[in-house]
Amino acid sequence: MVLIENLEFGYTRRQTLFDNLDLKLLPGNIYGLLGRNGAGKTTLLKLMAGLVFPRHGQSVVADYQSKNRVPACLENICFIPEEYHLPSVRIDRYISINAPFYSGFDYDKLEWLLREFQLQPGHKLHQLSFGQKKKFLLAFGLSTSARLLLMDEPTNGLDIPSKSQFRRVITASVNEEQCVLISTHQVRDLENLIDPVIIIENGKIIFNRGVDEISSALVFETIPVIRENMRPIYHEEQLGGYQAIMPNIHGRDSRLDIELLFNGVIANPEGINYAFKS
Amino acid sequence: MKQNNIFSIRRLYLLIRRYVLSNTSGLFIAFGGLAGTLMVISLLVAYFNPANLPGLIPFYLSIMFIGGYIFTSNIFSELDYPRRAHHYLTLPVSVTERLGSAWIVTGILYPLLAFLSIGLIVFVANLIMNFAFDLQPFQGVFSQTGLNAIRTYLVTQSVFLLGAAYFRKNNFLKTLLAMFVVGMVLAVITGLFGWMLLSPYVPGGEFSIGPGNLSAGMESLFMNTIPATARILFNYLAVPFFLAVTWFTLKEREV
Repeated sequence: MVLIENLEFGYTRRQTLFDNLDLKLLPGNIYGLLGRNGAGKTTLLKLMAGLVFPRHGQSVVADYQSKNRVPACLENICFIPEEYHLPSVRIDRYISINAPFYSGFDYDKLEWLLREFQLQPGHKLHQLSFGQKKKFLLAFGLSTSARLLLMDEPTNGLDIPSKSQFRRVITASVNEEQCVLISTHQVRDLENLIDPVIIIENGKIIFNRGVDEISSALVFETIPVIRENMRPIYHEEQLGGYQAIMPNIHGRDSRLDIELLFNGVIANPEGINYAFKS
Repeated sequence: MKQNNIFSIRRLYLLIRRYVLSNTSGLFIAFGGLAGTLMVISLLVAYFNPANLPGLIPFYLSIMFIGGYIFTSNIFSELDYPRRAHHYLTLPVSVTERLGSAWIVTGILYPLLAFLSIGLIVFVANLIMNFAFDLQPFQGVFSQTGLNAIRTYLVTQSVFLLGAAYFRKNNFLKTLLAMFVVGMVLAVITGLFGWMLLSPYVPGGEFSIGPGNLSAGMESLFMNTIPATARILFNYLAVPFFLAVTWFTLKEREV
């Protein structure tokens, strides 16, 4: 679905954000792209969508170089940015203007999603709240039947019920031929949804593993004290003890804590990745 | 069926439709307001100074030109703002279709509509003046002058189309400034070139081109060849050139 090879990119000649970046995304997955501010998450999405061009290397989506922005490629890409502007038209007009560009546009799905999000076709887009606009964009994007869905902070601005609604809608409407890449800081909002987890730091992908793989290699647990023989890969002090990531030597089951994993990978990438080798 | 990634009439139509339907109210207000203002000006002039009425047609055409340049400069306004550019640039259409739709809207639909509006204003003004004062003040606007004006507009607006694709924000003013700067530079280069070429033949430093101080070959060059070449360049090559540069500018445009 997406193949990034030897990609080099920088916004200025002096500054390089990505150097020799390689990444492969497969259909049927909902990837979570995590990283600190300025790590390059949004830029990576833009590179895949053909909105910015690499200096060297390539980003290939559905067999087309995304920088060429050919219709057959763009029809398979839906990019939902964190910040956007919607025109001052009604929802039904926006749909009638933009939907015909997508040959596989699913009007039934859109109707269902608009109902789910409690949006009426007669609503004026510029009068919607930020969260409602985001829901509309999401509904429209999912209905395009694009094979690659790129979402930048999709749960920002959504209220608490809408976040679970978002997870439900994504799970229900994404099929095996589609690939979703969600860039987010709100990892708690997307737990149980994203798999695999990709972590990006200083323009490099330092972690890229599936949830099953993570669960079989690592244990996430809360412990009152850290004894000498425990040797956690990473730990954080919390009220009444510690949250720790340990190597899963005995094949134990534990609930994946993505926030803890993220902090662990950022603090000790070698240690975390070593647990997978061993 | 394999999709044509270069050009599709359907996608071109959808893009034009998208532009018109997304901007209907704005276009209607701008056009209606302008046509109404011109109509009022025509009636006022006809009432207070009917002798000046024939001079209004060039005035209308000037307004049509300036309005068209401003309109053309804003045709890619979605690209000026990253929040809008995301959607525009990821629409499944080719660069040729983006350029083609913009050119059709600003270079064909706009002058057609503007010309018809001017015709309508002239017709209504004539009707009122004929009814009220038994006068037929306006000559028809659909004359050779009008057609020449449209041809000139088509050539010059292609420069503003390039400005619309190249600059971010204030495209109209930036294009005007760029034209001024390029014009000045060309004038200086041409002047220097002319001086270098002709100064040996003009003793005493009096520098003027005319039948009296040029050889027959030079005279033919300056009086016939250069103006004819300039006419060909202006009438036939300027539009394709600027459209081609705009195509590459759009292709390379990032958020």
